[in-house]
Amino acid sequence: MAKSKPQAVTPSQTWWLLAAALSALLPLTPHVPYWLSALALTLLGGRAVLNRTQRRLPARFWLILLTFAGSAGVLAQFRTLFGQNPGVALLVLFLALKPLETRTRRDGLAVIFLCYFLVLAQFFFAQSIATAAMTVATIVAVTAALGSLADGRARPADLLRRSGLMLLQAAPFMLLLFVLFPRVQGPLWGLPRDAFSALTGLSDSMAPGSISNLSQSDAIAFRAKFSETPPRDLLYWRGPVLTEFDGRTWRPEGRLALPRLAYAPQGPLIEYEVTLEAHAKRWLFALELPGNLPSDSLMTGDYQLLARTPVTTRLRYSVTSHTAMAAGREESSAVLQRALALPGDFNPRTRALGQGWRDQDKTDEAVLEAATRFFLTQGLSYSLTPPLLGRHGVDEFLFESRQGFCEHFSGAFVFALRAAGLPARVVTGYQGGETNPFDGYFTVRQYDAHAWAEVWLKDRGWTRIDPTALSVPSRISQNLAAAVPAGSPLPLLTRADLAWLRELRLRFDAVANTWNQWVIGYNPERQREFLNRLGMRAPDWRQMTATLAVLAGLVLLGLTAWALRQRRRVDAAQRAWLRLGRRLGRRGLPRTPWEAPLAYADRIAVRFPESAAEIRAISALYGRVRYGNLDPVLLDELKTRIARFQP
Amino acid sequence: MLSPKSPKRLEHVVGATGSVILGKEGQIRLALACLLAKGHLLIEDLPGVGKTTLAHALAQLLGLSFQRIQFTSDMLPADIIGVSVFDRDSGAFRFHPGPVFTHVVLADEVNRATPKTQSALLEAMEERQVTAEGQTRPLPEPFFVIATQNPSTQIGTYPLPESQLDRFLMRIELGYPDRAAERELLAGVDRREVLAGLQPCLSPEELLTHQKAVRAVQVAEPLIDYVQALVAQTRESPDWQVGLSPRAALALLAASRAWAWLEGRDHVLPDDVQAVLPGVACHRLHAAGESAARLTPTEVATRLIEAVPIP
Amino acid sequence: MRLTAAVQERFIRWALRVHPPEPAPVVLTQRRVYVLPTRAGIGYAASLVVMLLGAMNYNLSLGYALTFLLAGLGVTAILHTFRNLAYISLAPGRTEPVFAGDSARFTLLLHNMRSDERRQIRLHLAGGMPATAEMVDVAARSSAAVRLGVAATERGWLALPRVTLDTIWPLGLIRAWAYAAPDARCLVYPRPANATVPPPPASGGRSGGAANMPAGSEDFLALRGHQLADPPRHVAWKTAARLGADAPLMTKQYADPAAETVWLDWDALPAAMPAEERLSWLTRWVLDAHAAGLSWGLRLPGAQLAPAGGEVQLHACLRRLALHGKE
Repeated sequence: MAKSKPQAVTPSQTWWLLAAALSALLPLTPHVPYWLSALALTLLGGRAVLNRTQRRLPARFWLILLTFAGSAGVLAQFRTLFGQNPGVALLVLFLALKPLETRTRRDGLAVIFLCYFLVLAQFFFAQSIATAAMTVATIVAVTAALGSLADGRARPADLLRRSGLMLLQAAPFMLLLFVLFPRVQGPLWGLPRDAFSALTGLSDSMAPGSISNLSQSDAIAFRAKFSETPPRDLLYWRGPVLTEFDGRTWRPEGRLALPRLAYAPQGPLIEYEVTLEAHAKRWLFALELPGNLPSDSLMTGDYQLLARTPVTTRLRYSVTSHTAMAAGREESSAVLQRALALPGDFNPRTRALGQGWRDQDKTDEAVLEAATRFFLTQGLSYSLTPPLLGRHGVDEFLFESRQGFCEHFSGAFVFALRAAGLPARVVTGYQGGETNPFDGYFTVRQYDAHAWAEVWLKDRGWTRIDPTALSVPSRISQNLAAAVPAGSPLPLLTRADLAWLRELRLRFDAVANTWNQWVIGYNPERQREFLNRLGMRAPDWRQMTATLAVLAGLVLLGLTAWALRQRRRVDAAQRAWLRLGRRLGRRGLPRTPWEAPLAYADRIAVRFPESAAEIRAISALYGRVRYGNLDPVLLDELKTRIARFQP
Repeated sequence: MLSPKSPKRLEHVVGATGSVILGKEGQIRLALACLLAKGHLLIEDLPGVGKTTLAHALAQLLGLSFQRIQFTSDMLPADIIGVSVFDRDSGAFRFHPGPVFTHVVLADEVNRATPKTQSALLEAMEERQVTAEGQTRPLPEPFFVIATQNPSTQIGTYPLPESQLDRFLMRIELGYPDRAAERELLAGVDRREVLAGLQPCLSPEELLTHQKAVRAVQVAEPLIDYVQALVAQTRESPDWQVGLSPRAALALLAASRAWAWLEGRDHVLPDDVQAVLPGVACHRLHAAGESAARLTPTEVATRLIEAVPIP
Repeated sequence: MRLTAAVQERFIRWALRVHPPEPAPVVLTQRRVYVLPTRAGIGYAASLVVMLLGAMNYNLSLGYALTFLLAGLGVTAILHTFRNLAYISLAPGRTEPVFAGDSARFTLLLHNMRSDERRQIRLHLAGGMPATAEMVDVAARSSAAVRLGVAATERGWLALPRVTLDTIWPLGLIRAWAYAAPDARCLVYPRPANATVPPPPASGGRSGGAANMPAGSEDFLALRGHQLADPPRHVAWKTAARLGADAPLMTKQYADPAAETVWLDWDALPAAMPAEERLSWLTRWVLDAHAAGLSWGLRLPGAQLAPAGGEVQLHACLRRLALHGKE
């Protein structure tokens, strides 16, 4: 290995390093603290000014000071220096500081490697197609900067072109490794606690406003693949079940989850597969009521599916459901007691209302009927922006504002039923969704989040009642947009007047889903499944590695052939002429490299006197085509005459 | 504009000259190409091999006026370009043009004159005009100098310096005639009679048209590549002491054009370049190495040609 | 350390296969080009391993993709670097003679037959400092000349040492290199003696001798120490008178305006003088004679160059001096 003195970076190389650092830092600015983004950009800008004016870099003391100050800032922000977010923040800090002490080529390399690490860090926050496209641009820039370190005199366009070409040639290797490199399911070691804090979804409690907030988001909650999509009014995706109420917030009761169904399933069956987006909570969604447990899942006593660990990556599972089934006829009295509990001195009017129903009608069915009738006739309306409610929220909703979102409806309904002595609870989850016509996947978005009620009847068990559907039937039969008054702020996609946008979005969703299913969700199982489809039966890591080696070898061979090819610029006429030379070379009359056309023709004519006239004509023709005015007709004639020349 | 067929008439010139100077067709063609390329010719050979006859024959066949200047060591520049003489009748100086005011000048044994006299001729060749006593007088068109030089090994000569050699488009050697040609020379009629009987094949105007046409002969991109590669080889390879100058490269191209025209083509082929290379390049090139001095111009050219593949 | 050097030398010997020097042009075929990662390349690979572990731990599918893309980039870098060097042909160019003690400038012509530019080819000589390496770009289908300096210590032929060509282009992660020993040599003239050496003695070989020297046509040139063979009328009697009887006699030297011919004679130098020093003196005299525009002849044991002047004579004499006793 040649040892060489550390080479100083030139100003143009410094520009490249700064551009690379900027392109790696910019996509991360939304994900690190604002002050850090501002500091990083300032430091890079400062380095740019120093580079422009060719002034000396700051003394090491200042850099150490800045490093400590920045790290202290990160520590103050995150209370720790370990973990994903502080880690990314520290990397950003280092990348911003490193150019300020970059004097040699080796320092430049450190900047480049930091840039590559930060590209990887972007994937903590998003792995969408757009992110991938953006990172490709970053990688091209960073690689060009790496090239500039090796070739300080190259023109920027050449560096970018070379970088693009090399990455293009690297793509087949990436593809092969991606498909065939034996995947392991992470984590290899413990994940920091703050991983996945950026995810959205249903929360495990319900207070006024918690679901209506979600309704502004058209992010995808999960996708399902049905063989046949069930009718819309059966599409209740069961999530957290909330039994405990403190007057304002509904919460689940902490109950034991077991690896078996809490009931005996019966009735018609629907089979489907769900791809759940990561939401950092344990629950899984299935149509009411699930008929089996997906692998590695549990079920609570209130029929909620739970994964064993929080869902931190996109999760795919197969599940069945019995949509027409109710369960829990033999519910324990303790459970029923808890489903009747009401906090004291809240909502006196609603309590009185419930009491009144019970006083009039003795049977549970009759009470339920009365409650239903009340919700039908009270003139409640659906609103995404309900007025703020005070201490007696249910009272205010039912008798004064009469505007609310599903959490108001379901909460009030359950409260009223409990006041009437009927065991009831709130079920949250999603309702509805839509089929994407482009890939057939059924998509459920955050704005499909919903809350409904479940009431226990002696001879039916837990029975679903959707109070929102009673008051505002269009919410269930159509969608959110149909349910709210015109002019309400709605997610763009739910608005009927933007059909073209909807279609565009659906198309994009289909692509994004394919991306999620096959690129982002390419885990050990998916790999096995895919290789099975390709005809590898029971692929193990040895088989994969062997296949990988063979295919990568083939690609390498192809690229090597390219590398060794001696590309000479040969025009068509010359190619034909050289071909003639090779052909006659096999008959002992090769053309020497310096031999002029007529001279060669003379030599051939001496050897083959009977072809003399023809070869002289051919050589004259070649001379005219190559060294005179190029006439396409003559070129064709030259080609055919050379092809036909057979002395 | 002449068509590529019109060099037929030039072929007559070659043929007729060949009837006077036997067995030297190649040299005659080179000389004619030199004339067509508007260059000047240097013939280096022993006395008595037909240098003068060649010059005379060409002049006569092309219908050009002809002057022969025998260079001697006591010659002065004025003997070539002319002098102003006081005319007693008119009472003014009158310029008596020297022998250089003609179409074809045969400068015989140019290396016998002093460098001062030589440079007077060479300046006239380069400028195509003569400046005497503050007045510039153009020389006739076409103007063609054939200079002859004895091999420098002979006594009492002033060999032309290299910078002056560069002004000649070509240098050729005539050499002894082969046996058959010599026999015909000895047995046949007197060459001087043949020479006297030659009739012009071309008019000076036609010759000028040909010269113009030669400049329009097409030179394609790959051919320029070839000429460049040849020149680059002489500059870079250790085979040569000094490489070819840009002027030499231009001369090579001009001579190649004339040669192509003589061959009846309107475009230059590598063949043409190789044909004129010995004449154009060899007096400007000096091969390096022990055996260099013994190389003939043809060997020098071959060495160069075989070092450069045709692109 | 010495063992590794020996192993390296064995490797190079094996790598060159042909024993040096090789006939021109030397084509660096693919079998002669070697590739290994540079220190930067090893760092790059280490970074990739860390990135792969990160991607595994966080189940970042795009992290895998990024790592694999960069791994592929490393592989293509090998090919690009290799391709940048393979099939360059190397031919010795014109090399001007130098004097011993100077630096011989070897010209090497790198020819690129491909229609892509070759960039950042570095050449250095065996035993040369890496700092003296020359960096060169060779444009598509053309040549570039590189001059490599070698200290010329001894007169005679100086052969071009083995040349190492290497490149880390385009990314600096991989180094490709090749060895070549093109057949090139440079003539090293003897080191000219100090400029203060006395001028050559006017030897007896001067054409015609004193007899036909036209009186008054001589130009006084210099004084030198008297030797017994000097003609009495050349003794600087006036100087002798002024300096007194004890001072050594001086001889007047004259430039000969008619022929201005001097003979530089090996035997004119003191018999005790070692051969190399004699050559050194003769070299100085040849240079001085040329600078003065004289015509001179050179006599060496077993060789003689007839008097002449000018560049041709200068180089012929210097060449003879350089190769004296070496052919």
